[in-house]
Amino acid sequence: MRSRIRAASVLLLIAFRNLFASRVRTAIVGGIIGLGAVLVVFGTAVVDSLNAGMARSIQGSLAGHLQLYRKDSPDPLQVYGGMMGSSRLEPIRDFAVVKRVVEAVPNVKAVVPMGIDRAFVSSGNVFDVALEKLRADARERLAALGPAGEVPAELDFRWRARKAHVRRMITLLHEELGEARKLVDVPPAERAERARQWADLERADSEEFWGAFDRDPLTGLEFLENRIAPLQADGGFMFIRYVGTDLAAFQGAFDRMKIVEGRPVPPGQRGILLGKFYAEEYLKLKHARRLDKIREAREHGRLIAKDEELQRWVKENSTQTRDILLQLDPAQAELAADALRRFLPSTEQDLGKLLPIFFRTDDATFDARYRFFYDRLAPLLQLYMFRVGDTITIKAAAKSGYMNAVNVKVYGLVAFEGLEKSNLASIFSIMDLQSFRDLYGWVTPEKEAEIAALKKEAGLSDLDRASAEAELFGSGAPAAPVVTHAGAIPDAPVRHERRARDADLFSRVYTQDEIDRGVVLNAAVLLGDPRRLKETRAALQAAVDRAGLPLTVIDWKEAAGSLGQYMTGLQFALYGSAFILFAIALVIMNNAMVMAMLQRVKEIGTMRAVGAQRRFVLLMSLVESIAIGLAFGVAGALVGAALVLGVRLAGGFPTTNDQLQFLFSGPTLLPRLGGGGFAVALTIVVAVSIASGIYPAILATRITPLEAMQSED
Amino acid sequence: MAIVSVRNVSKDYLLGKTVVPALRELTLEVQGGEFLSIAGPSGSGKTTLLNLIGCVDTPTAGSVEVDGQDTSRLSERKLTDLRLHRIGFIFQSFNLVAVLTVAQNVEFPLLLQGGLSSRERGRRVGALLEAVGIEAYARHRPSELSGGQRQRVAVARALVTRPALILADEPTANLDSKTGESVIDLMKEMNRRDGTTFIFSTHDPRVMAHASALVRIEDGRIVAREQGAAA
Repeated sequence: MRSRIRAASVLLLIAFRNLFASRVRTAIVGGIIGLGAVLVVFGTAVVDSLNAGMARSIQGSLAGHLQLYRKDSPDPLQVYGGMMGSSRLEPIRDFAVVKRVVEAVPNVKAVVPMGIDRAFVSSGNVFDVALEKLRADARERLAALGPAGEVPAELDFRWRARKAHVRRMITLLHEELGEARKLVDVPPAERAERARQWADLERADSEEFWGAFDRDPLTGLEFLENRIAPLQADGGFMFIRYVGTDLAAFQGAFDRMKIVEGRPVPPGQRGILLGKFYAEEYLKLKHARRLDKIREAREHGRLIAKDEELQRWVKENSTQTRDILLQLDPAQAELAADALRRFLPSTEQDLGKLLPIFFRTDDATFDARYRFFYDRLAPLLQLYMFRVGDTITIKAAAKSGYMNAVNVKVYGLVAFEGLEKSNLASIFSIMDLQSFRDLYGWVTPEKEAEIAALKKEAGLSDLDRASAEAELFGSGAPAAPVVTHAGAIPDAPVRHERRARDADLFSRVYTQDEIDRGVVLNAAVLLGDPRRLKETRAALQAAVDRAGLPLTVIDWKEAAGSLGQYMTGLQFALYGSAFILFAIALVIMNNAMVMAMLQRVKEIGTMRAVGAQRRFVLLMSLVESIAIGLAFGVAGALVGAALVLGVRLAGGFPTTNDQLQFLFSGPTLLPRLGGGGFAVALTIVVAVSIASGIYPAILATRITPLEAMQSED
Repeated sequence: MAIVSVRNVSKDYLLGKTVVPALRELTLEVQGGEFLSIAGPSGSGKTTLLNLIGCVDTPTAGSVEVDGQDTSRLSERKLTDLRLHRIGFIFQSFNLVAVLTVAQNVEFPLLLQGGLSSRERGRRVGALLEAVGIEAYARHRPSELSGGQRQRVAVARALVTRPALILADEPTANLDSKTGESVIDLMKEMNRRDGTTFIFSTHDPRVMAHASALVRIEDGRIVAREQGAAA
């Protein structure tokens, strides 16, 4: 026994001495193995934490662990949208049924109904905003009107400032359109219309219009609202991505959701929580947004002097000051101009000239100007298109093809923890399910019957879409009265009527039953134990099948759509490159070992002649391969581990863009050493070295003792 | 008692498609304790005969008995065992393991055998190195030794297992004549001391002169068997 050990030790001795004797070969082979081990350990650490982070982001923001949707849908469900925008899904008519079935499945913690869609939100133009304020003042003024027609001085001052503001805006618009008229050739069909518009504008910018304004402000306002405001080009629609959901259930289920401003929508009521990122990126005054971005870029070490993107933002800020000018009434404009004159300092009188100077910043002046903007200018401006507390109008093309619209109150801003800057998750706004259903335009059978009855009563026939368009917009003659679609709100309602309806709608509290019963597009399922995802998925599918529901169950990775694929792709890329590396390593090692063996044919033949069995030769050859594999594999794995720790100590990989932030599920990626990666690396490395040693070892056993007898030539 | 008994042995090699006979119905008996030289021009079949006796090759026809065992009836494993325990080899080009020291080279067959304690192995190796006169080089690598010194190591390695038979194929061919003679003298001395049978091939008349018996081979046949000058 002891000499067996001794024989084994001579075997090791020979193997190691051989490795040492051919250092260059050993270094090359070992280097490849070591590099492979570094890659595998480091790579798996990165991909593992990436996976875990992404899984957390996806599961905690919208997808949950599993998703259900109609299996006859034209598109697969992708909660974050795919290349082609939102998935087209068939509606699930009654969520309550689904809820009952799903909640009965073991390991299901919660099921959250959803309708994910894209809609438009009317951004309202600056005219609308200014006119709205003017109208509010007009009403207040009428109410405060004394018997002799006198008003409180403070109110009167504000009234005159607001009027001046609107007047200024009209003058600006007048000038602009005047320039445009000189340049653009108007097609004959539009000439009459354009002429009327021009006449309206001339009138609105005239002394007699404003002279008469105070006598009947409401009529004047109506003229401005209906005829002048639409001429302002920048007012339009903006995309909004939203999830219509049972807000209470959603908030309970998705732990990464947090309200960063405002408050939750009161239970059972209608309302929307705007995505914080969406608000920053799309609703914020462009100048402020660009300043924020420049500041952030500078914090990441970028310089205006060296960065073309930053220079572009600075240029945009200094040239496109009209947005700011339009927002300020003359009094505010003077305040701003005065502050700027002292800050810059400058003797320039015109705010329109001061702003470009102010915004033309460089690295030396940026920080001070950024502070000045937020301290002094921002309080005069409306920084966000909507604020918490506002009511916004969301429009969407309903299933029927009509445009449906709902008004919802903004209760707060919402973000997903760790994903605050993600344009994939935090761009979503979260809205109540009833508003979604109104927008979606799903008509329940009862409602359909009701509409049919109403139509009959009114003696109207349904218009098909094509002829409706012709009837409505084609000829000059007014069309027959048109039925607005159920659930839709007329485009241009009389405002106070709308308000009354809104108030009624907004204060209404829906019961859980009302929320559950109705259309949804998909449902997120959260599990008690996420590790049992596979079996729960199968159980859930079986349960919905048994219940006769035409639903399909997918896991969060599928539901994440292209994102999930991206993740899988990333894994494949890592494993693929590791595979290729190891395949190459295998070939090189194999080749090197065979070459080494061929050089030692005589030596091995001699060993065989003096009495070494084939097994001895086989082991000797394998020990060499394994020794290289183990030694360099372990060394490589340790280097990889050290690299991981180094990256962790250095604070992880920083995110350089929002997509990365979503992937990393936070501002940095901290790779972590699971035991898994290390063990996998070692296993692979040893397996590869054994594999690469097998063929030369078999060759070695084929060497006969006769080889020893050949004379040296 | 015959330690080697070769009866009617033929060995053919295939060279391309032609059969080349190396040995033709050769019969030879070697008695224990002999110091036998096999002589003959190159290509006469000396090496083939030694390979058959050394159990590293098998005859096409006839039988070879070594130490009373018919080699044609033994498996590859058993033949290897027979070589390990009963036969020692000395090669023309020494064939030492380059990465082992002199002492480790000599110890190697004992390690393969197993059974001896480390101390016993050390004693035996030490004694043999002293006997062949290279004890001073025990820790050296073969590459640091001259040809003659290496062949002495090889002799020690062949002797270390105390085999019944030592085969040496042209042991002096790679040595100058003086060194060659000293190696042969060493072998002869070991033969006398332990009674180990030596069979070696050579075409050097001065080496033959040391043999106690001489077998001449030509074209695969024994043409003469004579008592050597040294007998």
